[in-house]
Amino acid sequence: MVSQLTRDERGSAMILCVILTLFGATLGLMGRDDVLGWHGALLALSGMVLLFVVMNKLYDPDPDPDRVTRYYDDPTKVGVIVSMMWLVFATFVGDWVAWLLVYPEATFDAGWSSFGRLRPVHTTGVIFGFGGNALIATSFHVLQRTSRARLAGSLAPWIVLIGFNLFCLLAVTGYMFGITASKEYAEPEWYADLFLVVIWVVYFVLYLRTLARRQEPHIYVANWYFLAFILVVAILHIINNLAVPVSLGHAKSYSLFSGVQDAMTQWWYGHNAVAFFLTSGFLGMLYYYLPRRAGRPIFSYRMSIISFWGITFLYMWAGSHHLHYTALPHWVQNLGMTFSIILVVPSWASAGHALLTLNGAWEKVRDDATLRFMFVAAVFYGLSTFEGSFMAIRPVNSLSHYTDWTVGHVHAGALGWVAMITFGTFYTLVPMLWNRERMYSSRLIEAHFWLALAGTVIYVFAMWNSGIVQGLMWRAYAENGTLAYSFIDSVDAMRPYYFARAVGGFLFFLGGVIGLYNIWMTTRMPTMEKPPVYDLPPVVEAEPAE
Amino acid sequence: MEFDHNFFVGFAKSYGLFHMMVIFFGAVVYAYWPSNQEKFDRAANSILEEDEGTQS
Amino acid sequence: MLDKHAKLERNALAFVFAIIFVASIGGIVEIAPLFTIDETVEEVEDMRVYTPLEVAGRNIYIREGCYACHSQMIRTLQDEVERYGPYSLAVESQYDHPMLWGSKRTGPDLARLGEKYSDAWHVAHLINPRDVVPSSVMPSYAWLQRNSLRYDDMGLHLAALRKVGVPYTDEMIASASHDTYGQARPDSERADEFLERYGEDSNVRLFDGDPGRVTEMDALVAYLQILGRLTDAAHQQANDQTEGD
Repeated sequence: MVSQLTRDERGSAMILCVILTLFGATLGLMGRDDVLGWHGALLALSGMVLLFVVMNKLYDPDPDPDRVTRYYDDPTKVGVIVSMMWLVFATFVGDWVAWLLVYPEATFDAGWSSFGRLRPVHTTGVIFGFGGNALIATSFHVLQRTSRARLAGSLAPWIVLIGFNLFCLLAVTGYMFGITASKEYAEPEWYADLFLVVIWVVYFVLYLRTLARRQEPHIYVANWYFLAFILVVAILHIINNLAVPVSLGHAKSYSLFSGVQDAMTQWWYGHNAVAFFLTSGFLGMLYYYLPRRAGRPIFSYRMSIISFWGITFLYMWAGSHHLHYTALPHWVQNLGMTFSIILVVPSWASAGHALLTLNGAWEKVRDDATLRFMFVAAVFYGLSTFEGSFMAIRPVNSLSHYTDWTVGHVHAGALGWVAMITFGTFYTLVPMLWNRERMYSSRLIEAHFWLALAGTVIYVFAMWNSGIVQGLMWRAYAENGTLAYSFIDSVDAMRPYYFARAVGGFLFFLGGVIGLYNIWMTTRMPTMEKPPVYDLPPVVEAEPAE
Repeated sequence: MEFDHNFFVGFAKSYGLFHMMVIFFGAVVYAYWPSNQEKFDRAANSILEEDEGTQS
Repeated sequence: MLDKHAKLERNALAFVFAIIFVASIGGIVEIAPLFTIDETVEEVEDMRVYTPLEVAGRNIYIREGCYACHSQMIRTLQDEVERYGPYSLAVESQYDHPMLWGSKRTGPDLARLGEKYSDAWHVAHLINPRDVVPSSVMPSYAWLQRNSLRYDDMGLHLAALRKVGVPYTDEMIASASHDTYGQARPDSERADEFLERYGEDSNVRLFDGDPGRVTEMDALVAYLQILGRLTDAAHQQANDQTEGD
């Protein structure tokens, strides 16, 4: 990897490593009386390890000058592997906490291993570790192919990838230390948040600079979705995380917002994290890899444009449906509900024309597990967006809110849509990236497919059942007009569903392990004799396009 | 005009609809403008052009 | 207009602004009125701030991720009001930075938990929930009783909270760590000083039942016992409504 950088770039990389080390050391010294000290040490150590890696190859010969005529895929390769490693880790933790709700003693007598600290490890690991790395890796790949231009810079993609993973590492280790801002899906504290802002700016600039080099006048629609993902996540992240730290030596900070404003800001963030992280970015993936795998252009390019603006506009209004019947003003709740219901239109347009793209290629869907992953993802996308709009209706929400139904809904989206489209994408992408004829084993892909599908279905059905049972028990009245069940009655009733959920989660985890193994073994297969000509950017003749 | 709470509430309740309609029509007109047809077809097929002689 | 559209998509930067424009409207229009909402919310005179020990306890509640399974927001639904008490008002979480309304009830809502159970019950329940509620699936938090509470920096915490809008006085900030100790040590002089500053109604008790060190258990139980008791507004409103019927 390092040998692909020029001597100058290696020098810059060393400077960056030194800056990271110094930043970590400063943070560590300021926070020496606090848990912050550990995180400072972690950053300093990471800086030194990276420095060592670069210095080790510092005097290697300069890379082949022809490299600028090729796409730059090393960061994508690393991103794919790291993403799968996060998946295995985070679904393992997820399944552990699922078992904790069946056997609460199945843990250690220590803070780091308790449910409340492990749960954000699972959510962050899956959303940011697995999902984030998958998005970064595929966005680099798609961006270069659709622009027919090499990434603008060899160092910047590494800053993005390594920096982002350091952020994830700070986040999950922090929770175990007890560092959390408690904002759901935005738990990392102020210093990690600031760190991410820097990384994100580099990502954004890299994206724009590469787009500026493009040889195609039209920006392919997948890039629209990736751009919206990068941009809006930045806005959401910065506003939701505004906070005042206790001191520069404390990990702890206090949110700038309180009470009802904080709740609205949090769920404006929370819902749009779903929209722009878990939907927009992954639709970008779908719009490139699904047509490529199926060998057919997208059913209606026009529809994808309308969906894009629909999703970009509508999601922003929908967040308040998380706060029905609360102290949030009534009109905000209704506004959120209305836009959430309209949201089903562009969502179904996207899901629908993903399926219509496959229309006429059903024999491929039947025979090719990779394409089947994408097909199932589109189906789950349609299902969970419909379910989401349905749950946003106030009376439905009065039953579903606070129950496992919400958990089931989230996992229908996360397992069924996000993870499935990513697996389909990776199995398409990995042989291209490493220049292999095919994946190591198609039977393992098949096994992964059925494990993932069975796991998802078991999980989602268990949570639908438990959620509805819970909701109904809470509101049930006995004949004499008193509440029929105590709270603990509803907890007892959950046991079989929690057990089934943990089994479903385990199947999904197992599929992930198989996927990682299969991808790893593919990278160790022999290379095809000559690199295919198609995967080269065209020769740059004159000025790059505007 | 007073910029008090009621003003903001009224604005939020009414403006969203207007804004949505403008964006929707904008997007539809752009997507279905006849002269854009060719460009979109080209874009939709562009990602498959590289496919010649490959086995991915 | 259409030429502009074509240009827009040729020029990535213009496209970026279009996305920001389209996407940010919803958030701005929807959230902005909430910052003028205090114009419409009645002032509640009896609303009090969290004491330093309660702030420390709240931070432990956050640290352990309690909010992942317990909500603090009673909705305006008949069964919830009967099960948990009067529905939550916006003013009650006025000083909650951040709010802990929660999104999931694996366990019951805690918005009106304060003084519902004894301190001893909470301590026993936190050490091993199944000693008190046999089929509970809550984790045990035995280490809270083993860990001393760090409170030498409570002044900094209160100062930070003041920066975001909680009305702590200079005196409260200056004596924050003394007050933390005082609230958990009924027989000490600092307890009297604490009561002078925060009012005679404040709880001063050996929350964890152990006269030795001030532990994290002290802080968490002190916080749990104040939940729903910062103001009487919700109960008053419920009473008014019953009388009005």
